[in-house]
Amino acid sequence: MPKITLNGKSIEVADGITIIEAYKQLDEPIAHYCWHPGLTIAGVCRLCVVEIEGNPRLQIACNTVVQDGMVVNNNSEKVKTAVKWGLDFHLINHPLDCPICDQAGECELQNQYMEFGKYDPEMAEHKVKKRKVVDLGERIVLDTERCILCSRCVRFTNEVSKTNELGIFNRGDRSEVGTFEDKPLNNKYSVNTVDICPVGALTSKDFRFRQRVWYLKDKPSICTGCSTGCSVNVYYNEEGIFRLKPRFNKDVNGYWMCDEGRDIYKHINKENRMVRGRYKKDGAWCSTLPLETAKKAGEKLRTYSADQIAVLVTGQYTNEELDVFVNYAVNKLGTKNIFHWKNNPDGWNEFDGLLLRGDKNPNSKGLQKVLQKHTVGGEWKDLVNQIDKFKAVVVAGPENLQAYPDLKEKIGTLARLECVVWATADDNIAFEGLMDFTYLIPQKTSVEKSGHFTNYNGLEQKVDVVTTLLSDSLNLEETVELLVGESVDMSQREKEDMHVMKKNYFTTERGRL
Amino acid sequence: MSIVKKPGAISNWYLPGIISGMIFTLRKMIYNIFHKDKMPTLNYPEEKYEYSPRFKGQHVLTVKKDGSIRCTACMLCATNCPAQCIKIVAAESEDPSVEKYPINYEIDVLRCVYCGYCEEACPVDAIRMGPEWQKPGANGSNFTYDIQELAYRPQLKGGIESRLDEQERHDFGI
Repeated sequence: MPKITLNGKSIEVADGITIIEAYKQLDEPIAHYCWHPGLTIAGVCRLCVVEIEGNPRLQIACNTVVQDGMVVNNNSEKVKTAVKWGLDFHLINHPLDCPICDQAGECELQNQYMEFGKYDPEMAEHKVKKRKVVDLGERIVLDTERCILCSRCVRFTNEVSKTNELGIFNRGDRSEVGTFEDKPLNNKYSVNTVDICPVGALTSKDFRFRQRVWYLKDKPSICTGCSTGCSVNVYYNEEGIFRLKPRFNKDVNGYWMCDEGRDIYKHINKENRMVRGRYKKDGAWCSTLPLETAKKAGEKLRTYSADQIAVLVTGQYTNEELDVFVNYAVNKLGTKNIFHWKNNPDGWNEFDGLLLRGDKNPNSKGLQKVLQKHTVGGEWKDLVNQIDKFKAVVVAGPENLQAYPDLKEKIGTLARLECVVWATADDNIAFEGLMDFTYLIPQKTSVEKSGHFTNYNGLEQKVDVVTTLLSDSLNLEETVELLVGESVDMSQREKEDMHVMKKNYFTTERGRL
Repeated sequence: MSIVKKPGAISNWYLPGIISGMIFTLRKMIYNIFHKDKMPTLNYPEEKYEYSPRFKGQHVLTVKKDGSIRCTACMLCATNCPAQCIKIVAAESEDPSVEKYPINYEIDVLRCVYCGYCEEACPVDAIRMGPEWQKPGANGSNFTYDIQELAYRPQLKGGIESRLDEQERHDFGI
């Protein structure tokens, strides 16, 4: 275990790590572009230079292995000057694009310039103009002019996604990053290149120009796109959620996440949500408060005997909610007919080798555990086989309806029953196909509630409330309470949610009040 | 502390006050008839006072040479606005040299405090505050001005051209 001194602080580090990793362990600031902890070392940006005692020249911290007794610093005048003029070289051909660049606000060039730069540029030559707004497939736009050639994205496609699309072409100041003949960059992990790009050269089409990053707040959460359960940061403001970015978690996803998972925020936003509770009476839909729908549904359910009721559960709820719900089904409804609804039973165990799994539910493992505890559980096909036996069904439906492509077909099957009570977060046109005595109860989504999700590996991960988008939707625990006939104390919740609603109103209606 | 003048005995009478007041009015009226040019007031709706171009009045969105809007939708004005009265929706432009432009730019002038911070924040000389200051409207009329009003209202005669030109900058090699 070598003992080294960084900026006057001594630290004992593992053998064989580089100086920059030691800096990161110590949480000391160090400038860098090309080095990324999840990728190999390139050593091209020359910004992480440090002064090592006994060494006449500055060395790059990312490619120098620590040795016992090393005395290193990166806050001397010599280092600062080196970084400053290194930065000047990076900015020689960089365009003045900040006003229209999506990266502005989280741009490493801006940060380092404010930290080390603040020089008067000494370059008298014209800037080299390169190609702008290059369309790279479904998700990415490339701007070769903004690129500082750190090669992070190139290394990502070589090492992590192993698809090798990106490369650096041409020589000297005409070098530019790109794909061969502008072929689209359509791998399943392509947007990670946008995340790791320290400047605005690669931007995500989905997020492009939709919001400036300084209007966004971020909070940690879990991706509910599949059973891997990647750790993510959710970027949101009062108008809704705008993007997800991976958060480092060495047990689950490392530094990355898939493109499919980045889309899950869309079903969480208000546009796709079930805002009001709905029930069908005499062939017409009536809408009420979620609370009231649940109460009405509870009254209707109590008119059936235990063996007439089936219960359908999906693994899209937290462990706590599922526990309460299955407990309600077994003890209050008294039914043993509980069925686990899977999105694709055939491709259930699919895995693409990196992160993406066929099981598109964040908590299938947790649900199975709860079902085992009560020794119940069947499959969808078991429900279909004995469907004539039942008159009513209670569905703890999927939060993300996009993950269930055969939804319409399944709803067609359930429409044969007399009464359907469906807890759902998203709205979908397929619900129109349901018959009389259908109750649709709006639910909160994963970012609006706290609880635990168990991923494919059995790892239990906590999620916290990120933001409240629809303040009067219920979580499954509250729904169960209302179905039983108890009343839910909303007063405690209201305080928090009213605050959110007020704040939302003033911001979303900005310029209109 | 102000000095309170106690009304004297004369103020108990009606006529002396009226007569002295009328004499004052008459004197001013006769003076103004013969010295029209020195009159400090304006016949307001017909005559209007022109403020200097530096006056921070009604907002103007400048335009480029081709008449399209100069604003790049960087949102710095909206960020800097203390009254939060600017609302911008950005969109991707068809023209790759423009890239980003505001599809919607709204200022709620009733919330605006006319501080001029938007003008200061703008990196491309896209928003200015002009000398116009009177914007009457009936109660309930819309005081949220959109691009059409801010950049192309009739008073601007087709729009005010921005000092900053992207093409010139490009040719200059910046």
